[in-house]
Amino acid sequence: MNNKLNDIIYPEQFLLLAFISIMTFKVVMLAQYLVSEAGNEAYIAMTVMISIEIMMCALVYGIISYGSLPRLDLPKGIKYVLALLLFVTSMAKCALLGSEGVSYVSTSIYDNVRWSYVCLALMLVCCYLAYKGGKVIARTAQIFFWLMALSFAFHVVFAKTDLQFVNLLPLDFSTDIAVACDKYLVWFGDYSCLLFLSVSKSPNAKGKRLAVWTVLAIVGTFVCAVGLMVIFVCVFGDSGAIVGNAFLNVSSLNKIAFMIGSMDLPTVCSWVIMCTIRLSLLLYACKECLKIFFGEKWWLSAVCALTAYLLIVYGIGNLKTGYSIATGALRYFVYFTDFIAVIALYILVHVKYKKTNKPKALPSPETPALKQISPPSQGEE
Amino acid sequence: MKKKPFVNKKWIVILVIIALLVTFDLLDDQKSISTRAIVLAMSLDKGQNERYNLGIQLLKTDKNNKQEYLNFYQEGDSVSDILETMNYNVGATVSLAHTMVIVISQDILLEDKDEALRYLLENQVVTYNTMLVTSGDKPDELMSAKLSNGIGSGYYLGQVLRTVAADFGVVPVSIKDYFMLRYRIGGCIYIPYVTLEKQGENSYLGLTKMYATDGQKGLILDEDATKGLSLVATSLSNGSLTYRYADITGEADIVQSFSNISVKNDSAKITVYVSLRDTSNVPDSIDETKCLEDIDATLKGYINKCYEDCKAQNLDIFYLGQYCYAFKNPLANEAEYLDKLTVDIVIDGNLK
Repeated sequence: MNNKLNDIIYPEQFLLLAFISIMTFKVVMLAQYLVSEAGNEAYIAMTVMISIEIMMCALVYGIISYGSLPRLDLPKGIKYVLALLLFVTSMAKCALLGSEGVSYVSTSIYDNVRWSYVCLALMLVCCYLAYKGGKVIARTAQIFFWLMALSFAFHVVFAKTDLQFVNLLPLDFSTDIAVACDKYLVWFGDYSCLLFLSVSKSPNAKGKRLAVWTVLAIVGTFVCAVGLMVIFVCVFGDSGAIVGNAFLNVSSLNKIAFMIGSMDLPTVCSWVIMCTIRLSLLLYACKECLKIFFGEKWWLSAVCALTAYLLIVYGIGNLKTGYSIATGALRYFVYFTDFIAVIALYILVHVKYKKTNKPKALPSPETPALKQISPPSQGEE
Repeated sequence: MKKKPFVNKKWIVILVIIALLVTFDLLDDQKSISTRAIVLAMSLDKGQNERYNLGIQLLKTDKNNKQEYLNFYQEGDSVSDILETMNYNVGATVSLAHTMVIVISQDILLEDKDEALRYLLENQVVTYNTMLVTSGDKPDELMSAKLSNGIGSGYYLGQVLRTVAADFGVVPVSIKDYFMLRYRIGGCIYIPYVTLEKQGENSYLGLTKMYATDGQKGLILDEDATKGLSLVATSLSNGSLTYRYADITGEADIVQSFSNISVKNDSAKITVYVSLRDTSNVPDSIDETKCLEDIDATLKGYINKCYEDCKAQNLDIFYLGQYCYAFKNPLANEAEYLDKLTVDIVIDGNLK
């Protein structure tokens, strides 16, 4: 494969990756944390932050339609600063959010397996995906998309729960919402790793189809994130503050649970895949940041994966430590990168390319020209 | 011409994955299902010196499909310690993931401040659908009761509770419902109250009453109050009512019912919508209005009984405080809101 073009994806793939990036770690421990801080208004906090994230995704799309961050024609100093910010942010998120995934696999799927084993297995896979590049991650997401969609449809069809809508009231916009949004900033801003992808439309792409997928992605993100939060508050009320793994607990409330046991296998499979893709994206972002400093080196993904592994297993080690780090001063650094830096980059890119001409259109991921440049060698994928 | 690699990279990756999986399996001590003891029911009581007394009910089968329900009991300072010790007593890893019911003593409900139950919920030791019950008898006596059908009493209770979910009477409560209600204003919870009646060698379990408590005081609701609670607390799709007017007696089945509570100023309105179907051998002419009037009075009586009995103990059984908070009623901030609220019960019924 030509490594120079392994960051180019379709717009539909970008939508899917954006959905996975935003959703994955919002449906694990965040629901519990938001309820502990904002009580019945937790779903309002989620609505506000999801809306901001969707808008920021649009900004990111606006940036990467010119090319990924390494491709952009920006001064080297700015690239180095952005790369440093994004490396620290992506690595921090990989460690903090990755620890939630590792904890879930370790305690919910298995019977308290050591974190080192789970993390090793996870990091090996994510390291390989990060090494292969954004195009492979996007294609992997596309392949598994239907499993996620079927799992969601299954739970919608078989859902059975007594929703206590009184738990959502009163509809108030108290300061608890702002406190919750501030305290859990690390769980938001999950689009910055997408800056290392380049979006290029297929020559056969139809505008209407992309518009439909865009609307579906936005609505789907809203329905899944905010909808889950609403259901969580309706079912658990204020006791949600002591209930972890929201998606698993909500999905276990179905009509057939009493007959054949909790049917959480589809949810578990979907979420583990989403978690792998999300962590792969973060590692890929870290690798691309290092590439800006050190150039193209085969060991960059391995270094990133090893760093993440050491941070998760030895630096964090348990959810409590991860929580205290994530809700500490680090969250403001992450906020600065995810929000301020991305907005600044968007303005910079549009000013830069307005003055000069727009760069030549990126080749589509599957154009014949690509095949001429890098004919597939035997033994490779 | 490029030299062919000795081994295809794909196969190296697959071999590495296999090696890792085998290594993990050998290194880690995951118990297989054959070495696990699947707990069907659990009992929780206060033991001596403020310790916990935890009991578990297992099903043992042999090659001839002979089933035997085994009960194990253990005392300890904490639930986690007891479960650890149980693993040795039972000779297998105790798994509570399939526990259907937990029998809790009133001592635990009134004195423990939910410590034990919270441990079970927060650490996901049991599933969120695990039912809770209490009894006037000791939980271990209830678990050890020998039923005439040969099934373990704890397991039998779990089965029964799942079938009465929408019935007119006892309201099944799971551990997640327990905590959802506990965290509401007033902190009042209700769980099924099981009675144990011994007749010779066999025992019989009664499930017609509820037990309400706010963690400090408790109250056993009689059958009428229990019916009133089920009308307000759940949506019903099963049950029967007898009506009587003049010298006519009949029976109507509950097709569907649900309730709505609203609070305005110092007045709370509880409205119960109920659809009924007349199933008795009725005479040719029957006055539906009078039938509904009688049923109306009966249902109001049940709900009123429940409310008044609980109000006498300062138990906010219908969570009127939570509704005051939801509708931004200032009474929610007052400690004696129950005394200041007037409750109006409305039955909106139709008979087919």
